[in-house]
This record gives sequence, structure tokens and C-alpha cells, in this order.
Amino acid sequence: MSDEPRVGAPAPGPAPLPGRSSRWAWVISTLAAVGAGLVLAFLLGVATNNPALYERHYVWLFWVNVALASTLVAVIVVAGVRLLWRVSRGRFGSRLLLKLAAIFALVGILPGVLIYTVSYQFVSRSIESWFDVKVEGALDAGLNLGRGTIDAIVSDLATKTRLAAERLGESASSAEPLSLERLREQLSAKEIAVVGSAGQTLLATGSATSGLMPERVPPQMLRQARTQRVVSQAEGLDEDASAAANASARVRAVAVIPSSNFALGEQERFLVVTQSIAPGLAANALAVTNAYREYQQRALARSGLRKMYIGTLTLALVLAVFGALLLAIALSNQLAQPLLLLAEGVAQVARGDLSSKAVFKSRDELGGLTRSFAEMTTQLSEARELVHKSVVQVEGARANLQTILDNLTAGVIVFDRNGAIDTVNPGATRILKLPLSAYKGRRLDEVAGLDGFAQAVWQRFELHAESPEAGERDHWQDSFELQIGGSGGREPESITLLVRGAAMPQGARLMVFDDITELVSAQRVEAWSEVARRLAHEIKNPLTPIQLSAERLQQKLGGKLAGADQGMLDRSVTTIVNQVQAMKALVNEFRDYARLPASSFDSIDVNALVVEVLGLYGAAQEAGRLHAELAAGLPAIVGDGTQLRQVIHNLVQNALDAVAEQADGRVRIVTEAVRNESGEARAVRLLVVDNGPGFSEKVLKRAFEPYVTTKKKGTGLGLAVVKKIADEHGARVRVANLGASGEDAGDAAPGSARGAQVSLSFSKLAATVRVAANEAVAESRLH
Amino acid sequence: MTPLPPHGSLRRRSVLRALGVAASRVLVPSLWLGALAAPGGVRAAEAELTAFDVSRDEDGVYLNYAVNFELGKGVEDALVKSVPLFFVAEAEVFRDRWYWRDRRIAHTVRVWKIVFQPLTSTYRVTTVGGLSQNYPTRDEALFALSRSSRWKIADAGQLDDGHHYVEFTYRLDITLLPRPMQIGISGQSDWQLVVKRTQRIN
Repeated sequence: MSDEPRVGAPAPGPAPLPGRSSRWAWVISTLAAVGAGLVLAFLLGVATNNPALYERHYVWLFWVNVALASTLVAVIVVAGVRLLWRVSRGRFGSRLLLKLAAIFALVGILPGVLIYTVSYQFVSRSIESWFDVKVEGALDAGLNLGRGTIDAIVSDLATKTRLAAERLGESASSAEPLSLERLREQLSAKEIAVVGSAGQTLLATGSATSGLMPERVPPQMLRQARTQRVVSQAEGLDEDASAAANASARVRAVAVIPSSNFALGEQERFLVVTQSIAPGLAANALAVTNAYREYQQRALARSGLRKMYIGTLTLALVLAVFGALLLAIALSNQLAQPLLLLAEGVAQVARGDLSSKAVFKSRDELGGLTRSFAEMTTQLSEARELVHKSVVQVEGARANLQTILDNLTAGVIVFDRNGAIDTVNPGATRILKLPLSAYKGRRLDEVAGLDGFAQAVWQRFELHAESPEAGERDHWQDSFELQIGGSGGREPESITLLVRGAAMPQGARLMVFDDITELVSAQRVEAWSEVARRLAHEIKNPLTPIQLSAERLQQKLGGKLAGADQGMLDRSVTTIVNQVQAMKALVNEFRDYARLPASSFDSIDVNALVVEVLGLYGAAQEAGRLHAELAAGLPAIVGDGTQLRQVIHNLVQNALDAVAEQADGRVRIVTEAVRNESGEARAVRLLVVDNGPGFSEKVLKRAFEPYVTTKKKGTGLGLAVVKKIADEHGARVRVANLGASGEDAGDAAPGSARGAQVSLSFSKLAATVRVAANEAVAESRLH
Repeated sequence: MTPLPPHGSLRRRSVLRALGVAASRVLVPSLWLGALAAPGGVRAAEAELTAFDVSRDEDGVYLNYAVNFELGKGVEDALVKSVPLFFVAEAEVFRDRWYWRDRRIAHTVRVWKIVFQPLTSTYRVTTVGGLSQNYPTRDEALFALSRSSRWKIADAGQLDDGHHYVEFTYRLDITLLPRPMQIGISGQSDWQLVVKRTQRIN
């Protein structure tokens, strides 16, 4: 029952407890069996009253019993202290254990104590009852009877012997064997002898004469006989005499034979008469003596006997009680174990620990209970695992969805059943330029500036719900023009949204929208190209005949008209020709825009190109209005020289036009290499910067659309052509206003703009991206 | 016969013995739950050595002793009631050893059994395994068993040049009584008749 392995051990295997407790049960039952056996042997030794066996084994039995009892006491004390300690510590299950142990102990101890009490009384009373006064009196009487009888024989023989001796002394016919024999017959004695003063036999007769010499009379007896005339005593009645010796029990009497003639020197003589005692009498007397002795011995040993019996009983009680206690603890352990297991399991489950539970290995209902509980817990655990797994999956899916939503360029808004905003993705915020996520839980029309849009969308939803149009079973799609960003003094911006709506489960509604402003713009560009191409074609055809006709008119009529007519003709023709030329130029420009010559890509040095183009602007350069800042060591790019030349030309022209009305107007053309962190050239940037008034915001947004211009003259195709060429080169074009400090200030108010900047980034470098260039070439040829 | 000088091993031995005796005296009755406490106030049987003499000659070691004692009332009672009593004289010869317990080189025991024979009113003394003799009076019988002369307790060959001493004990031996009686009389001072003597042999 060691404490030690704390319950907190990891990896709860299938219950080490039952094994341990059964081992303990074994130990205890063995101990109890040994104890019971020893007690039985002890009792047997006492009960059979076999003193030899009993005395031989008494001591070690006693000590073994004592040792066993001490062991049991130690074990019980340890177990009890441990149990109480656990109870005081409020250890789980200890109260149940204590209760069970107490019950079992009571069941064990009560009968034991009862039996002990009864036995105690019985033993003490019965031992007393053995020693009866009557028995003692009877034994005394028997002893006295025997003694009296023997005394009578002795004194009788003494008297007779004395008389015989006197007669012998008087007859003086001393010591005749015949008279001696007669005397022996008279006395019916066994043997008669006459001995001298030293005890030597002078004359003997009797049974002994035939064999041995008669037994020598002890001198002490002779001495007594001398003083008392006669002495007699019984012999051969010793307590340790054997049965054979009993037969020789006899009475011997010695008497002095008085001397009639007092002759000097005559020897003193003694008559010795030996008479045998009847063997029956001797045996009986000895038996009585022995019984008396035994009785007295036992009477003396009575208290000891009582102590011994009671001690044995007490020891047996102690052993039984301790055994009962131990068994009680062991049994209650055994019984409580599955319950504790179960209760602990329940507590663990209540705490949320669904790890596998210990099973109590027994075939009874309690074992079954623990097993079912363990199974239940396992199932619960599996179910929870499943739930957890699916939750994780859902979380994953949600995270996926969220990532997708967050990275969608399209705006997504989910409305709940009440029309309040439930989910907004960053795309929606970006497109609408409104912090929509702050409006979660509110209706869309509460968002400033979106009320009209919200109503339109909502109407569309209602319409779809009521009468779905053919071909849009589960969703509707519409485009909306929306004015946003009108607040804060800014110019409202018009964006075009393509909105798609769908109903979701539980009355929720999904709205997905895209900013198709740029798409619309591109479509517009495309349309313009088409228009330009057709117009160019349609207009250009009649232009030549018109010009030719006008020139012909002048030629034919040149000499025939006079005066003012001639002048008017010349002026008109000149006007026609000029206008036609202008129109041709216009048409060519349109044609150029619509149908740029097929690009032929090659390795181009941007700096060389810039220098070449700037050659055309010598005047501006000399006037200091234009200067170039060209970075050295630029990598070559892949491009079409002709087209790029036009790009530079257009940009420079635009910039010069923008600053044309300013006295201090300056245009800078800058080339530089964009390098990444390792210093490797990544792109080549071409900047054209002016300090003109900048672009208006409206223009800025649509700078690359045809016919968007800030200039009074010009077609507005310049930047459109730039954009188109840049697109073909895979280059990035950015148009921005500069702030007063000359920094990029695209968001600055137009009034504060201190110039504009157009930047072109060419990322296709000739040296590194030859293959890409080839691809671009192929691509362009295909078109 | 010089008086025994204080000797470490002797003292140690006697302490051990005393411990053993004390243990047995305390333990046995107390283990029997002391159900009946030893009756107090009973005068212990007194015994004294009136003569004690150890002599050594070329044959061996001889012991003369005489013990004078009076039986306690309980013992006398038992004797009159014809219960046999045993007296034991025990002599041990030890050889001094400074490094270990002293070595016992000889051990001799004499046991007398005295029993009153009510049939003939005689006392019969039997030396165990030896002779028996009847005495008409108790005093004669006790006199016979309370002394010995020229009791050979060790052979000459068992002794060597070292120092030797004799431990002599004369006691009324209750361990030879029937066990229940032992238990009954255990702890009674009446029955504790013992005399001891330790003597150097020179």
C-alpha cells in the first residue's frame, strides 16, 4: 500500500490498481491463514493436553504469534494512519474507503469480541470448577486411608517384632534356624533375620535365603532400634518407583533382642522382620499419592493455567481482530476500487479530461460498470475529436474563404435577413472608398453617399425575388453608375460598378460588385480606335480630291480672274488646301492612333533615343526651357525605336505645351535605372517633369483616354498613344501632379500642384530578358 | 581466593545476562497480559553462600560450596503438597579474552529433585540421572542438596596458562516445573531463589 507512485503518472494504462490490490489481498490472506494455522496449532497443543508436544513448541509458537500480531499491528497502524491521513487531506474516495473499512471491521470484530467474552467467562469459571473442595477432600481422605493402613501395618509389625524379639531373648535357645522359621510362619513375614550390631546377618530365613543375602539393614535403623527397642518403616513406596518395584513394597521392623545373660562381650543382636505389603494395596496407595500430587500441582498451576488460556484466547482474539481489520481494509479497498475508479473517471470527465479511463478487471457488475464507463468516455472523446476536427475544418474553410474574400479585387457584401451588413471584404472598401467594415450590422443606406445605390440594389433584390428574369435563376446582374468621394471638397468621382446579387440561405443576400470604370474606359478607347480608323478612312478618301480640285481651280482660274476675285480665289484655295492639309494631319494622327505600325523590337539605348529626339528641340534647349539629365550606364531595353521616339516626342511636346505660357516654364527629361537591393538593374525609368499647372483630377483619372486634354489645341491623342505604346512594351506609365516641393503629390489638390510628371518604367531589359523580348515580338506580329 | 578484580569482560557479560534475565522477567508476564499482577510484599526467599571455594590441582578444578536458604512460603506450600521441586547448581569456567567475549571452556550442571512422599512422610532427593535417597525430615533433605564438596567442574586439560574464572549459580529452577505452573508463579518473589558467585581461579 505504498503511496508513492502518485496518481499523476502519465499514460494512464489500463489500471495498475487491481493488480496491486489483489496482490495485497493475497499477502493478507496468506498472513491470516498462517496466523490462523498457528493459533490452531497452539490451541491444539493446549487442548490435547500433551505436555511434551506442548512444552516443546510452546515458546516458539508464542513468539511467532507475538511476532505475527506485531506485524499485523504494524500493517494495520500503517494502513489506518494512511487512511486517516488521506481522509484529513480530503483525498478523493478516502471517506468511502473509511466507511467500508469501518463496516467490515465492525462485522469482523463484534463476533470476535462476543466469542472472546463468552470464552473468557467460560475458561475462568470452568478452571475454578475443576478444583472442587470435595475432590480435594476425597483425595486427602484417600491418601490418609493409605497412610493409615500402612502405618497400621508398620506399627503392628513393630509390636510383633518386639514381642518376638523378647521371646527370642528369653528362650535363650538362641538362634536356631528352626525357631526362626517358626517365628516367620507365626508372623507370616516374608523374611526374618538376626543381625549383629554392625548389621551383619547372623541368621536368616525366608524367601530371600534361597537367593540373595537379605538386604543390609541401614545402621541408622539399628541405632534407632537400640534406643527405642524397636523401629519399623515402610519401604519401596517411593514416588519414582516402577510397577515392578511396587511388588517389592514391604515393611521392615528392627527390634533389639534382649540379652538374658549379661555376659560381657556378648554381642548385641537385632531381629529384623520384613513383611511384604500386598501389591494391590501398594499400587493403590501410590496411585492415590500420584493423583494427589498431580492435583496439588494443578491447583498450584491453576492461576497460570487460567492466565495461559486467557492469554491464548486474547492472542487469538487479537489475531482475529487484526486479521479482520486487515481484511476489512483490503476488502473495502477491493470493493471501493471500481467505485473510486468510476468516481475519479467521472470527476475527470467533468473537468473535461476525456483521456482513456482505467478499467477494473473483474467479471462482476462493477467491473462491467467501469468498462462501460471507459467505453462511454472513449466514445465521447471520439465524438469530441470529430467535432474538433470538423470545427478545425470549418475554421480552415472559413480562413480560406476569408483569405479569398480579402484578396478578391471584387467587392463582396453580405446582408443578413434584415438587410444589415454582415460581411464586407477589403475589396468593397477599396472600390467604394468608404470604411464599410465600420458599418457592420447597419444597413447599407445608412452609409453616407450610398443611399441611392443601396435603394437601387435593394429594389433589384426585391425584383429578383418576386419575378426572376429568365436566364438569371439564382442571381441578377446590373451595372450602376455611382458618384462617390464628393465629400471634403473633393470633386465627386464617378465609378461604374457591375453588381451581381444572389440570395443566400436564411434570407441573407450576397452582393458582389466590380469596379469596371477602367474596363469601360478601355472599351471607350477601343471604340475610339475603331471610330478613328473608320473616320480616317472615310475622311481621308475625299480629302485628296478636294485638295486636288481646289488646286486645279486655282490653276485653271488663276490667270482669268482679276483683282479682288483673284485674291479671293487665292485665299480660298489656300484656305482649302491648308484646311485639307490640317485635316489630313488630323486624319493621319487618328490613323496612327488607331493603327500603329507593327512594332519591331530591338535592343534600344534609351539615352541615345532621348538625345536623338531632343535634337529636334534645339530652340527650347537653348532657351533653357528643356534640359536632359541622363544617367550613365543604363541597361539597354527591348523596344521599338520608332515608337519610343514618338513616345518621347509626345511627352516632351506635351510638357513644353504645358509650360508654354509660363515665363519660367521648365521641362526636365530624366533617365535612371531602378535597382533592386543587390544593385542589379531591374528597370529603366524615363521621367518627363514640368513645372506647369499640372493635371486636373478628372483628367488625371482619364489621362490616357483619347480626347482628354488640358490643352487648347491638339487632338488629345498624345497620351493615349503613349499609353498604347507603353502597353505594347510592357512598360508602366504613371501620371502624377507634383506638389510645391516637387515631390510626387498625386493626391494633392489641383490648385496646389506645382507641375506634372509622367514616368515610364521599362522592365524588359535587353540583356536579361531576351527571351521575353522575342516573345513580345512574336506576340506583336501575331496582332 | 582473592576477591575478583573488576574486569571489563566480566562486567559486560554480567550486564548482558542481567539484561536477558530482566527481559525474560519483564516480558513473559507482561505478555500474558499481566492478568494477575504479581502479589507484592511477599518476602523474597533469601539464600546465601556460606561456603565457596575453588581449588585447582593437577587433575582439574574442584568446587566446594554450601548454600543456606530458607524456602519461601509458596515454595514450602508446594513442597508440602508433594509438588516436586528442582534445584540446580551450575558452574561455568571462562577463559579471559580481551578481544571478544570470554570463552566458556567448561560447563557443569547438577540438578536435584526433591519431592515429599506423603505416604511415608519422607523427603526423597534424587540427583537427576543418579541416586535417590529418602530423608525423614525436610531439613535433612535440603541439607543434602544444598552443598557439594570436591565437585569437579573442569578437567586440567581444559585449562591453559591464561586467566580463568568461575561463574557459579545455585537456584531453584522453575523452568523444570510444568508450564502452567511456571506461568502461574512467574514474577512471584517467593520462587526467586538464586545465588551467584564469580570467582577467579589462580
